[in-house]
Amino acid sequence: MEIIKKIVQIEHKRWVLGSVLVALVLILPIIFLFSNIFEIEQSAFVYLWKTLLLDYSLNTLYLILITSFFALLFGIFPAWYVSNYSFKFRTFFDIALFLPLAIPTYIMAFTYSDILSFTGPLQSFLRNNLPELSDIFNNDYLQIEILGLILGLALYPYVYTASRVSFSLIGSTYINMSKNLGLSSTKLFFKVIIPLSKPAIFSGLFLVIMEVLNEYGAVKYFGVNTYTTGIFRAWFSMGNENAAIQLACLLIFIVFTILFLEKISYKKSKFYYSTNTKTEKLNIPTSKKYFYIYTLCSIPFIMGFLIPFIYILNNSILNYSNTDFDKLLDLSLNSISVSTISTILIIIIALLFLYVEKISKLKINTFISQVTTLGYVIPGAVIGLAVILLFTKIPMLKSFSLIGSFYVLIYAYVFRFLAVGKSPIKSSLEKQPESYDETAKTLGLGPFKILQKIHFPINRLALITAFIVTFVDLLKELPITLILRPFNFDTLATQTYEYAIEEMLIESSSYSLAIILIGSMMLILLKYIINKQINAS
Amino acid sequence: MKNFTLYISMFLMLGSCLDTAKESNEINLYSQRHYKVDEMQYAAFEKQTGIKVNVVKANADELIERLKNEGENSPADLFITVDAGKLQKASDLNLLQKISSPIINQNVDSALKDVNGYWIPITYRARIIVYSKDRVNADDLSTYANLTSEEWKNKVLVRSSSNAYNQALLSSIVANKGVDAASKWATNLVKNFARDPKGSDRDQVKAIAAGQGDLAIVNSYYIGLLLSSEKEEELKAGNSVGVFFPNQGENESGSHINVSGIGLTKNAPNKDNAIKLMEFLTSESAQNTYVNTSYEYPANPSVEPNEIVKKWGSFKKDNLDLNQLGVYRSKAIEIFDKSGWK
Repeated sequence: MEIIKKIVQIEHKRWVLGSVLVALVLILPIIFLFSNIFEIEQSAFVYLWKTLLLDYSLNTLYLILITSFFALLFGIFPAWYVSNYSFKFRTFFDIALFLPLAIPTYIMAFTYSDILSFTGPLQSFLRNNLPELSDIFNNDYLQIEILGLILGLALYPYVYTASRVSFSLIGSTYINMSKNLGLSSTKLFFKVIIPLSKPAIFSGLFLVIMEVLNEYGAVKYFGVNTYTTGIFRAWFSMGNENAAIQLACLLIFIVFTILFLEKISYKKSKFYYSTNTKTEKLNIPTSKKYFYIYTLCSIPFIMGFLIPFIYILNNSILNYSNTDFDKLLDLSLNSISVSTISTILIIIIALLFLYVEKISKLKINTFISQVTTLGYVIPGAVIGLAVILLFTKIPMLKSFSLIGSFYVLIYAYVFRFLAVGKSPIKSSLEKQPESYDETAKTLGLGPFKILQKIHFPINRLALITAFIVTFVDLLKELPITLILRPFNFDTLATQTYEYAIEEMLIESSSYSLAIILIGSMMLILLKYIINKQINAS
Repeated sequence: MKNFTLYISMFLMLGSCLDTAKESNEINLYSQRHYKVDEMQYAAFEKQTGIKVNVVKANADELIERLKNEGENSPADLFITVDAGKLQKASDLNLLQKISSPIINQNVDSALKDVNGYWIPITYRARIIVYSKDRVNADDLSTYANLTSEEWKNKVLVRSSSNAYNQALLSSIVANKGVDAASKWATNLVKNFARDPKGSDRDQVKAIAAGQGDLAIVNSYYIGLLLSSEKEEELKAGNSVGVFFPNQGENESGSHINVSGIGLTKNAPNKDNAIKLMEFLTSESAQNTYVNTSYEYPANPSVEPNEIVKKWGSFKKDNLDLNQLGVYRSKAIEIFDKSGWK
């Protein structure tokens, strides 16, 4: 009775129930994974722990640290300069710094190892022209530190995007106040701006860390064994499904704990962005500062985008006569359509969860909101397999034989990438004072109207950002597509990968170029819209 | 609510538009092979027979999981891999059925065939030793076991133990010489490594060219690919190494080989078409296409290898039952882990 009473008392029942239902459908793969954990395979687990796991876990931690360091370095400083200073090419950098997001990490890794390899352009040039220097550069570049740098270059835009939005939304009140108190610009940055932007920076960094955990192609090529390698080793090489599932569950548990701790620590220091969201007038940098600005803004762009882009462009020009343009167009359309449908679904669902979390204030919704992002921490291939298990082991689902259909593929995409779409919307929603909702409520608006009339327009920027980031991520998606795709369905990503792992980088170049161009165009277009919005407000 | 229903039905319609149209005269492949030569073969088959070839390409282990879980509902007719061990695994899991076709029997070398008849070979490759022509005298080379001798300290290059080709090689050593000998071999070989295992087979060759090591264990066709590269520097790297077939002595087992092969799935819905495709792929014309595009050895003995490959001469093959590569896989992995072969 008590429970029923409680349920009756819940505000916005329909919203809450709706979100709980959607969440249940979405987390089925996780429930399925965890329901398998009880068939304990102690011997396999003990074996893995003794021989590899410690080593694999330490490697993973080390790789995450290096990648995070570079991602923060390449992300935060340029974001601050672009948000706060007026300098030549500022608008260009604001767009350009986004672009490495368009290059899949494995393409970045394969491209750089080709550039740096003994037969690559750098070493060949030195051998043929400057033999005395060539010995210095003749190294083994397949090292974990280099991989960390490459991943940092590929992933820093997550940090850049998150901090850029946050920096530009910190109201001038805070900045003026700090300046009146006599803080220097360096102090202002470290003592005020960074602490205020911590949640945003962390949400970007979180995506970086998740990408590293999910990375498989590049780490394998570099011979770096990570935790994910361990999962695959258990599953495929040792044929021990249960041990793999247990490892995956442990990973989920660890990430969940990190998220939980982060949540607690920010609860203590919750603050709302000033209602005065007008950005501070841009500062004119000193000449010394110019140097820092240009160095710190151009390095990530040149290394993260320009060099690999030019290399791939050059390869595809070399391969122009062998390019099958019909196929290229076909695969581009495949990639675009499947990514668009999935992205739209993701945004709708993310918005539903976040909004219900905001209006209901029930613990269950906070929990749902957290649990549904877990898809992002599970390596794509594990999700693919969990989904296969789900759709074949449950008799009711089995009869539909849905594996190999687009529904299942898109379902897996949504499950995996919900966190990506949610992150920008979340940090934007959190910035809004509660008073908006309350005022609207007293004016008699229902929750749907509030969403439509208030949150939709206010968060338009965040929604657009969420769309870009998710779309571009899906464009690059590989492991889920490989395992769940329907017959004869290739995407630009799968085709690129198939050539690249056979080291046919020349042949793969036109497909990777298409990914980069489509991704870049999306990023540029949407960045342009965002900037227009920032300037207009 | 009305809108919601509308959106849902739009979504469902979109989904069905994307689904590939079902045809009756077709054949469905789950394939680990994803080379251009495969597309060429399927296109030629379609043209000749009018049978549409549908392909899902992914990692062999993932495809086995998919097959296993789909069970009777699986649309797949054929399972194609680049490792006999995976075919053995599939047949061990009861996912395959026996293949009987006089044409295939006539087409392929009986030494390469599955003794139980569950799968057929289409091509084979040898796992060979390549050496720096400048720094190594070919006369000093003999067997896989010899690679563990003191003189090759810090000179041996090889890729990671998570690679299926290395797992198959070690499985063959376990099958031929037993667990203890195989463990000893792996442990001692690790001591001779020039660097931590990483990269691909071709990267090992490049590392020899770069002087980071003198010897490497690689698959034969990668050398063929390097020697036919359009990039001058890759060609140079390919030319800087010599090809050596190990274990050729009288009392020795012969060089380790592995096949790329096809299994017929247990519930193949288009069995007749599937047999036709296998007959086609083992025919002389298709085999010629394989050898000249991917530099593999042909399963059909009446076809000659590519010119580049022929120059290396003929060699004695290890005639181990290739199913053993699958049988000893997990043992091999355990040995790798204990030996510290990353």
